[in-house]
Amino acid sequence: MWNRIKNWIEIRIGLDDLVRTQLKEYSVPRNINIFYTLGVVALAAYIIQAVTGFFLLVYYIPHPDHAFRSVQGIMTVVPYGWLFRMVHIVGSNLMVAVVFLHLFSVFFMGSYKKPREMTWVAGGLMLLAVLTFCLSGYLLPWSQLSYWATTIVTSMPTAFPYVGDFASNVLRGGEHVSGITLNRFFALHVALLPPIFVLIIGFHIFLVRRIGISSPPFGVSGEAKRPWTEYRHESHPDGYPFYPDFVLKEMFMVMVYLAVMFLIIAFMPTLFLPQDANTPADPFRTPAHIKPEWYFLAPYQMLKFIPSKFLGVSMQLILIVIFLLWPFFDTKEEKNILKRPLLLGVFFLSLGLWIILTIWGEYS
Amino acid sequence: MRYINTKISRFFSASIFLLFAIFICSSETVAGYREVSEKEFLTAPWAGEQIEASACIECHTSDIMKPEFKNIPQEWKTSWHYENRVSCHDCHGGDTKDAAMSMSPQRGFVGSPKYSDVPEFCGKCHVGILKNYIESGHGKALKPTGRGPNCVTCHGSHNIQKANMDIINEGLCSRCHSYERAKIMKQALFLTEKRIRDIEKDIKRLKTDGVFTEEEEKDLFSTHAEFRTLFHTVDVSLIKERTDVFTKKLNLLENKIQNTFNELGFRKNFSAFLMLIFIGMGVGIFLLSKTYKS
Amino acid sequence: MKRRGFLKLLLALFGSTSLVSFAYPLLRFFAPPGEKAKAKQISLKKAEISSGEAKDIVFNNMPVIIINRPDKGFVALSRVCTHLGCLVAYDKTKKRLLCPCHAGTFDLEGKVISGPPPRPLPKVPLRVEGESIIIG
Repeated sequence: MWNRIKNWIEIRIGLDDLVRTQLKEYSVPRNINIFYTLGVVALAAYIIQAVTGFFLLVYYIPHPDHAFRSVQGIMTVVPYGWLFRMVHIVGSNLMVAVVFLHLFSVFFMGSYKKPREMTWVAGGLMLLAVLTFCLSGYLLPWSQLSYWATTIVTSMPTAFPYVGDFASNVLRGGEHVSGITLNRFFALHVALLPPIFVLIIGFHIFLVRRIGISSPPFGVSGEAKRPWTEYRHESHPDGYPFYPDFVLKEMFMVMVYLAVMFLIIAFMPTLFLPQDANTPADPFRTPAHIKPEWYFLAPYQMLKFIPSKFLGVSMQLILIVIFLLWPFFDTKEEKNILKRPLLLGVFFLSLGLWIILTIWGEYS
Repeated sequence: MRYINTKISRFFSASIFLLFAIFICSSETVAGYREVSEKEFLTAPWAGEQIEASACIECHTSDIMKPEFKNIPQEWKTSWHYENRVSCHDCHGGDTKDAAMSMSPQRGFVGSPKYSDVPEFCGKCHVGILKNYIESGHGKALKPTGRGPNCVTCHGSHNIQKANMDIINEGLCSRCHSYERAKIMKQALFLTEKRIRDIEKDIKRLKTDGVFTEEEEKDLFSTHAEFRTLFHTVDVSLIKERTDVFTKKLNLLENKIQNTFNELGFRKNFSAFLMLIFIGMGVGIFLLSKTYKS
Repeated sequence: MKRRGFLKLLLALFGSTSLVSFAYPLLRFFAPPGEKAKAKQISLKKAEISSGEAKDIVFNNMPVIIINRPDKGFVALSRVCTHLGCLVAYDKTKKRLLCPCHAGTFDLEGKVISGPPPRPLPKVPLRVEGESIIIG
């Protein structure tokens, strides 16, 4: 029966040939490591977010008078609504963590270097898109936490003279966070960002397949230093078949992701839901210790201790530009970071600073 | 090729430095704006505590004020009224924004009430309690004789705390009559009060478990308030009579809360089950991948 | 190969269990709300409440007050004060609802006139059919 179905498809699109060339004969480098699976885990995480997001969309009402109650309705009235909401919340935080890990490992292994600059830029844009997803989604439950965290973030552009106030007003739809802001962020979160994100994912994956997987620079290396003057697909004839070897590795990591997610949902359900997240938004009462989610703590802390607000915001913008265009700053051909102590130092210094700023932001 | 790479890299580094320089320079030219926006940033709500501006507080905490008046804002700051944003003008009237009109009768200022006028003063808001008090033995004693307990006698005037059972104590109640009556009253209240406290604890637990408990809290508050209002009749037989009604209400509430706890338990088990399935699949995939080791 | 086959079977089992564990909740999630959501309607005779009077009932575990307003007819409002939950009382002479706990006052539409309540009293659907009033 199964064979008959396969045959039906085969005579129409040549399925066998596709499976053979794209999956079975497609090889991954012999010295590939587990960190290479993080991209697919991030993709799986995004799909989970999109699907659960759709489910929530069925019952959520994007109006300040009804938003909070509709979310509470999902948690208490709709059967198993809690399940999908919890997956969406925990998933959003885990996805950011996975994306960060993917970013660190790509950086560490020098996979952004020529000819893969575009892949890095696409990835950087996706990180910004993910953070924008998080920002816009955070406002939707219309809780105390949502309202005030959004107030802080939408005031950051005011650091710039002349355009700052206008920019903030466009973001918020006015002088204060209000129902107008809610609708804007809702439209952004649900209708604008997803197709943009999917397009960039498509481009990113296309580039990875077309250029070829970059070999880890450690251990056995099949890569010789050749001058790059024309297009050449990087294959790994002495590597492992993508299917089933690497696919199984990827599936394993996805299972780890899901296990961690449900560990948190079962035993730490309030990890990402402090008291303020369960209190309806009150524009006249600021909670005592408002701070952004963990992935924004480092930039927030940096802003707090740089004395000039303008300088603080500008520095962040500059850092973002450097991050996005990094392959054009670091153009040395050597991919093995262990042979470049300066870059290694920069890597650990930045990572260390980011961790310190995050922890400081958490406890200040 | 290396030359070209270095050139690109140099170009980018140079442009970043240039941008940086432009930002620093322009930030000097907008220095005045910078000061203003910095001040804003540091005094914006999230940057620290909100400072309340009130004409009443300003004068009553200043050094020209008499000591007995000077302590009042401090007492009020430790009160339950303060926690609920009830301040000077809510009881005494007057204008908090305009010092000149802060004690003007035109803005509703009524000053401090006379001893026998205190019940009506507090009863402006605490309507139900006033009604019960006026009809009670205590209220009936106050009006004609000017003697007897008014609100302030038991609750204080500015340092008002959340009402609790221990306000009924020997020291307070035996000033006018024997403590026996008060003791019987306290016993009549005791069980219901204890029940209410236990339910309060349960609701708190639910809150830390992430549940939104507004409905339960409102239900409990309404029952509790009705019960406490009833106390002000100081009529033991009435209270004993009505205790059944309250107990029924509290039973219903407790059931609801118990159901919520059960639901939370189910969610935990369900999620843990799913977690185990995924761990199992992870192990299975890992073992399967070992059989393919090429 | 036997091991591989066994493992594949095991994985298929786990996989289908997890799928069912999501499919069943999904089904319940999307199913239209059951009969329980449509609460029992309560009906009264118009004659039971004369003009200017009101009647307290319990609808769906919620205390509700039905008022026969002389100018605008019947209305059903929730008696739960939106401040802290005490039950409001009807003041016939002043044509308003007063909460005994902190003197929150509402008009006969449910709107807040004064006091601490943050939101108006929710209305309960009511319609008049012939000689009866139907709540719900």
